[in-house]
Amino acid sequence: MELLIRLAGAAGQGIQSLGEILARAFFRSGLYLHAELSYHSRIRGGENAFTLRVSDKPVFATRRDVDLLVVLTAEMWKAYQKKLREGAWVVAEESLGIEGPRVLSLPAQKLAREKLKLPIAMGVILLGAAAKLLGLPEEKVAQAIQEVFGEKAESNLQALSLGYEHGSPPVWDLPGPQFGPGERMLLTGGQAVGAGAIAAGCKFLAAYPMTPGTPVMEFLAQRSERFGIVVEQAEDEIAAINMALGAAYGGARAMVTTSGGGFALMVEGLSLAGMIETPVVIHLGQRPGPATGLPTRTSQENLLFALYAGHGEFPRFLCAPRDQESAFYCTIRAFELAEKYQVPSILLTDQYLVDSYAVIPPLDPQRIPLRSHVLSPEELGKLPTYERFALTPSGVSPRALPGLSPHLVLVDSDEHDSYGRITEDLEIRKAMVEKRLKKEEGLREEVEGPVVYPEGHPRGKTVVLGWGSTFGALREAVEEVNSRGGDFVLVHFQDLWPQKWGEIADLLGPAQRLITVENNAWGQLGKLLAQETGLIPHQHIARYDGRPFVPEELVEALTHEA
Amino acid sequence: MKPEEYLADVEIHWCPGCGNFQIREALVRALAALDLPPHRVVLVTGIGQAAKIVHYLRVNGFNGLHGRTIAAAAGLKMVRPDLVVIAESGDGDLYGEGGNHLIHNIRRNLDITVIAHDNRVYGLTKGQASPTAPAGYTTRAQPFGVLSRPLNPLALALALGAGFVAQAFSGEVERTAQILAAAIRHRGFALVNVLHPCPSWNRVQTFAWYKERIRAVGEEHDPTDFAKAMRLALSDQEVIPVGIFYAVEEPTFEERHPVIRRGPPALQAFPAAEDLRSLLREFL
Repeated sequence: MELLIRLAGAAGQGIQSLGEILARAFFRSGLYLHAELSYHSRIRGGENAFTLRVSDKPVFATRRDVDLLVVLTAEMWKAYQKKLREGAWVVAEESLGIEGPRVLSLPAQKLAREKLKLPIAMGVILLGAAAKLLGLPEEKVAQAIQEVFGEKAESNLQALSLGYEHGSPPVWDLPGPQFGPGERMLLTGGQAVGAGAIAAGCKFLAAYPMTPGTPVMEFLAQRSERFGIVVEQAEDEIAAINMALGAAYGGARAMVTTSGGGFALMVEGLSLAGMIETPVVIHLGQRPGPATGLPTRTSQENLLFALYAGHGEFPRFLCAPRDQESAFYCTIRAFELAEKYQVPSILLTDQYLVDSYAVIPPLDPQRIPLRSHVLSPEELGKLPTYERFALTPSGVSPRALPGLSPHLVLVDSDEHDSYGRITEDLEIRKAMVEKRLKKEEGLREEVEGPVVYPEGHPRGKTVVLGWGSTFGALREAVEEVNSRGGDFVLVHFQDLWPQKWGEIADLLGPAQRLITVENNAWGQLGKLLAQETGLIPHQHIARYDGRPFVPEELVEALTHEA
Repeated sequence: MKPEEYLADVEIHWCPGCGNFQIREALVRALAALDLPPHRVVLVTGIGQAAKIVHYLRVNGFNGLHGRTIAAAAGLKMVRPDLVVIAESGDGDLYGEGGNHLIHNIRRNLDITVIAHDNRVYGLTKGQASPTAPAGYTTRAQPFGVLSRPLNPLALALALGAGFVAQAFSGEVERTAQILAAAIRHRGFALVNVLHPCPSWNRVQTFAWYKERIRAVGEEHDPTDFAKAMRLALSDQEVIPVGIFYAVEEPTFEERHPVIRRGPPALQAFPAAEDLRSLLREFL
């Protein structure tokens, strides 16, 4: 069973809240769902569409065509009237004049104005009619309204009742609950990153607001007092990363959150993190560029940028979570690995993952154990001298925090000796370069290889390569094509750098064909693969219109390939 | 502690006759007067000749990027209010490349001390005009003379509401030491603009030039009088006042911040498993 629902209106009509209410109502009914928000970069008007996919099985991708369209404006009717499945229903505001056998037209605007004296309630009235049609009990939706609106719920509950009153009897027969209360979680990728940061012991976040990095900042800010986190809106992204490095030097697990343009401003600071071997986590939510690009849309255009950003050579951990669940665990790993190897970690998400909801198994805050990677005052007390950049076999020097013992802690963006003192001794320079790069060897042992789906060696088969948030759509597409006689294998990367490229060459070398599928034009994973293994993908399925991949389009593209 | 105990035993790479030597001497006297243990002090510097001071002192050091001195110091102070944080660099670093951080950290009013070495030129890159260079000043990079008006850091700081604004001259080590001690003691953001000659590059504002113009702020000056402080900051360049122009304490960022108020955020334990489980219950 699967049901696709789209709520479409203008910015300012509360589409996001309506979507969240509907998502919660299904979640409270024990059904799986994935919900995707698509919007124009404006506060009023334009496009706002919330696409909800409900299923009796876990789902991790959105779709193009829907079974039920709830439409609030003529503009959105024009945009979405062709994206309907066979037998689809439309719930529409009456004044739009939409007619048809499966169209439920409601004078929602009039009801909202006359009965409630609240024009904005039009959306909830239409939602009520839609929910009735869907077979959702009114009390489930009412509960969801209370969860989303809290004290402001009263007028919305009245609007909901009006919607149910004017609606038609259910046309769908929803399945019973697939999970009980407390057995699953509903959250967005942005919330998952935020919760992961808190679970990782993040104590400092600085950011300059930028879509889609901002939700992480707001998530932490709203819980900062409870978890003792300093969340500061910086004057610019350059300040943000340098503040984070100052805080990390002082011993706080520190983070910044931004998008491509902001990250570009942070790049010199990223290089500083490499030089002073100070951990920092950078959440980079991708959106289409170059420059300001499409501010509220999605992309995977920053893989190579994130990998190579920063002058000079230094190790980093680069990870692109595949879904909401792994976004939580990847964030904790990003903090732990940054601390352990004293390197910057970059968490590469995108607007699609950050804004999309999914139903996932309960997150376990203790799955990835936290360890302190700094010297305790007792350990420091036993040291006769302290060298912040002591040469060690692993390249990782014991890290002290300033002010906790009489030992002084000196870090320098210039090349430095083991005490952190500026030097132009070229023998020391050589040793320090080697020390910094040595850390990557340890880090490489801790990364995860790609997921291979279905399991097994892809020898002689066509391999579909992807990374990050495309996992859900790609897995479904491969499943579907294979169920019709295809023989594709999905190889999907989450950890992107470092990586055991020798093993990956062994895995992919014997494949018959390699196809990259990425939300970019260049095929950036393909370029990376070619550089590291010599394997050149035969084909790149690109999407760079700012929208996420959907399984049905991928099925078409792959079928064409096969 | 004695002043010399704060000095690092290293070779110094400043030019002979550079005012930086006197500023260093004044700073160690100030630290000694305040009896601050070296490990409780963090000197955050940027890049430039002045910023090298971090290597010539025996305190903790964060020698970051050019222009980002105050940003790094601010981040550090927010999570380690237990440390004495001093941001020190040159006029190019603090007023040019890092101007935005100066502006916004005055607004924050963290308890940090900013010491600006102001010689009106770029030393490390060989003599280009700095933001405080007078209009008309010619260099190899400014052959028609500087066309912009000079930045007035003291008037800027006052206008933005800085609680401690002072000017010093490197040639007066003891007075500079006293001003620096007062600035470090001041609870809140403090800016000390320390004028100093650059014998290698600045042929106009020489030691003798300053000597003729420097006038100490009189005993009668009331450092809580904003209007008078602003008049001092806007003084004609023929008379250059030194001393504490303005000193008024207001609640700091740390004191107003509900998280920082509870103690150094960086030194708190990992979140308890029960608290994390309760956080994740939001999603159930």
